[in-house]
Amino acid sequence: MTAATATTDLGEAYSGYLDHLAEADEYAATDLAIGLLDAGVPAERVLLDLVAPAQAEVGERWARNEWSVAQEHAATHISEQVVAAVSAHVKPRPTGGRVVVACMDGEWHALPPRLVAEVLRLRGWQVTFLGASVPAAHLVSYLHRYDAHAVALACALPMRLPYAHRMIEACRRSDVPVVVGGRGFGADGRWARRLGVAWAPDAPSAAELIADERALRAAPPARLAHLADDEYASLVRRRGELIDSALAELRERVPSARAYTAAQLDATVSDLGHIVDFLAAAVYVDDASLFTEFVEWLSGILGSRGVPAGAVVLPLEHYAAALRDFPRAARTLALGCAALPGASR
Amino acid sequence: MTASDVRDFDPGDGRLSTPSTTRPSAWSADVRRPTAALPPLAPDRGQATPDWFEVVEHFREGLVVCDADGVVRHVSPVAERLLPEVTPGELLSAAGVPGLSQGVPGGFTHRERRLTARQVPLSGARCCWYVEDVTDSVSRADALLAERARSAFLAVVGDKLGNPLHPDRAAAAVVRLAVPTLAEVAVLVLAPRGGRARWWRATRTDDEAPTVDSGVLGGGELPSAIADGLTGAEPHAVDWLVEQAVDAGWLPGLAGTESAARVVPLPGRDAPVGVLLVARRATRWYDDDDVELVRAFAARAGAALTTALLYRDQAEVADTLQASLLPVEPVEATGVQWGTAYRPAQAGLRIGGDFYGSHRLTDGGSVFFLGDVSGKGVEAAVFTGQLRQCLQALHRLESNPARLLRLLNDALLETTQAHGQGRFATIVLGVARPERDGGLTLTMAGGGHLPPLVLRASGEVETVPLRGMLIGVVPDPRVGEVTVRLAPGETCLLYSDGVTEARGGRRGDELFGPERLVTALTGCQRMPAPALAERVEQVTCDWLAQGDHDDIAVLALRAAGVSGRSVRHLHSVPAGIDQTEETDA
Repeated sequence: MTAATATTDLGEAYSGYLDHLAEADEYAATDLAIGLLDAGVPAERVLLDLVAPAQAEVGERWARNEWSVAQEHAATHISEQVVAAVSAHVKPRPTGGRVVVACMDGEWHALPPRLVAEVLRLRGWQVTFLGASVPAAHLVSYLHRYDAHAVALACALPMRLPYAHRMIEACRRSDVPVVVGGRGFGADGRWARRLGVAWAPDAPSAAELIADERALRAAPPARLAHLADDEYASLVRRRGELIDSALAELRERVPSARAYTAAQLDATVSDLGHIVDFLAAAVYVDDASLFTEFVEWLSGILGSRGVPAGAVVLPLEHYAAALRDFPRAARTLALGCAALPGASR
Repeated sequence: MTASDVRDFDPGDGRLSTPSTTRPSAWSADVRRPTAALPPLAPDRGQATPDWFEVVEHFREGLVVCDADGVVRHVSPVAERLLPEVTPGELLSAAGVPGLSQGVPGGFTHRERRLTARQVPLSGARCCWYVEDVTDSVSRADALLAERARSAFLAVVGDKLGNPLHPDRAAAAVVRLAVPTLAEVAVLVLAPRGGRARWWRATRTDDEAPTVDSGVLGGGELPSAIADGLTGAEPHAVDWLVEQAVDAGWLPGLAGTESAARVVPLPGRDAPVGVLLVARRATRWYDDDDVELVRAFAARAGAALTTALLYRDQAEVADTLQASLLPVEPVEATGVQWGTAYRPAQAGLRIGGDFYGSHRLTDGGSVFFLGDVSGKGVEAAVFTGQLRQCLQALHRLESNPARLLRLLNDALLETTQAHGQGRFATIVLGVARPERDGGLTLTMAGGGHLPPLVLRASGEVETVPLRGMLIGVVPDPRVGEVTVRLAPGETCLLYSDGVTEARGGRRGDELFGPERLVTALTGCQRMPAPALAERVEQVTCDWLAQGDHDDIAVLALRAAGVSGRSVRHLHSVPAGIDQTEETDA
């Protein structure tokens, strides 16, 4: 299984790599990556043009319901092992200062920031990767203990933005510049600008930004004056109540919901909670597109699993009725409803 | 009818009717008294006439009276002094005084004095200019504004310097904050440690943000002014200070001859913690107020650095102790793939009352364990340390799990009784032995801990029937024992109650429970052990939704198959177990 890796053609290697991920074959995947390095392919290309697109494809396969969560996790684990092997194989000599890379608290998508960490390491930085879901207190005590030139924080889900903001502020108070990345900040980084923090679209730009201290510190001011209306805080306070009433209405109007198994009930509660969380995040950054993008994505995910779009309309309308006194949340929910496929309103 | 109708120089202010200089402070040029107040003056007018000049000379405002053509007719002595170019008999406009043009009252600077002028029309189209020297009051107001700016600056400094607890970060913040308010170049030299002095410097070119660089100097290379400063003296001979700093190459962009510099010590616990050199172009000399401000800044900077250095020393000690209390990753063992997750309740502390680990046995097997001690935080962590040390020693004597657990119980009882601690622990302790076919045989003993789970190749999850009593409580506890066989690719999972007792859900008060854990693991038989352990950590934390939690620990052992490689799965996993509605991407 390892003999076929003596190629420098990443396109050819890519499909082989995906097969190894599909077979959960850690050793074949690692051998393939190391083979590319030995054939002269730069480590950064192996990470960014092989591992990164493969991971994106893994996510797509999960979204299309072709792969289970278990398969997705197994594939991610293998890619992590491959990244570690590539890094150990190259052994770059650190010449720069320390950069701390971490996932936001509650954020488990550790592979993209891991790739950023390895690219920074390849470019001479002394990188500490703190891993997935790093509590703010842990990060801050780490920064107090070991000085850092910069902190790179990753956030893949926009619903974590309020926590992300808290974490960014915590780093700022320690006087360490922060650069953020990940799809959680919007495809164009617009929510990073809203939170007043430097943003990088990919690993090479993150490396460039970190090398330019002046640009790092020249982050625009946060524009969060809208938070004065207290809608975000109220949404967070009423989260449990909103989920309860939405669930009650669902049971009333959809008879099959009354016969849910415990696991189905948990999944439904979790979905209802995510809708509130994404709504709250949209209200936090005052951008309805955060919510409409989520609604489109959610209906796509549910659609691929045979759940009709109507299942999303019901809670959206329920929340809209419950939150009619919250102008920004109500407007966001209305736009969310309109974004659903087949919405005629 | 006013006195000005008679006297050209009458200021038009009724107060002049009292020829007294005893109340000058009450005079207000802006208060126009009604002319009705004047009549008592009339009978004395003849007598008072010679006094008008005397009165006007003591008047704070200077007077310039012009006739209808704008020709100066009278200039009072005060006005003469303030506006020497105004000459009687000539046009006022010819004097070229900027503030004395028609209809533009207000303040202006003339001959380095701040003046205010106002024009009052008199009868017969004449007019009078009242000119006052307000240099003193303006400078008082300026001083007040400057004082406010200084207070605001120091407030920002206090705010920014209070947070960075890392000494390097705090030092960089000190120099960055000093620019541009205090200096164009600021250099901080910390008191030498081990003969080497570290320095930080902030410089600013144009209006951009200051750039900070840093380095290290040998103790002997310090300019003498800096060395003096480190002993607590504040050098005052400003000229040679600049030259020293320029010679040392510390002031890029500033030439020695045209720069001003000051050195202030930063107060520390006893001796200064460092010295701050501030320098800027001589166009902004350091006056007394500036030096006061630099000193006040230095006091705050010194306090921040002292705190940061103190924190570093304490944190070094704490880190060393903490490192000895953190769970050690299991040692590599033939046929076993380990996976672990650890999330202490107190995130900042990173240690807690859960523990796991493994030791290799001489016969090729491994002892492994996961447990939880009573209590939380540091004390609990210290107890886990004692427990792990006991096991480290005891596993060399006894490799049967049940007997090893009893030995551990005796050792703990002895320690806790000796210290009067009353602590206890729950634990699962096992021995894993590799089989020829790549499977594992696990013999496990239970000390009152949650029973392990086994993830079978079919994707089903079994609960291992393992019971037993807490250890560290009674001398001869009931210890459960069980043997489990793992086929290649099957996994045994040990976890602490931080997982199943995590509170979350809709209201944040529902227990996660063992059923949800089983559901989360079902169908995950293809996952490598590290991914499985992380999955348990993740579903638990998702359930918690950022809420408080107990210590969480997970240890997974997967039968890695022959030749140390994971078995390859030739058939795809049956679907249907997946969380169809999980919004996780």
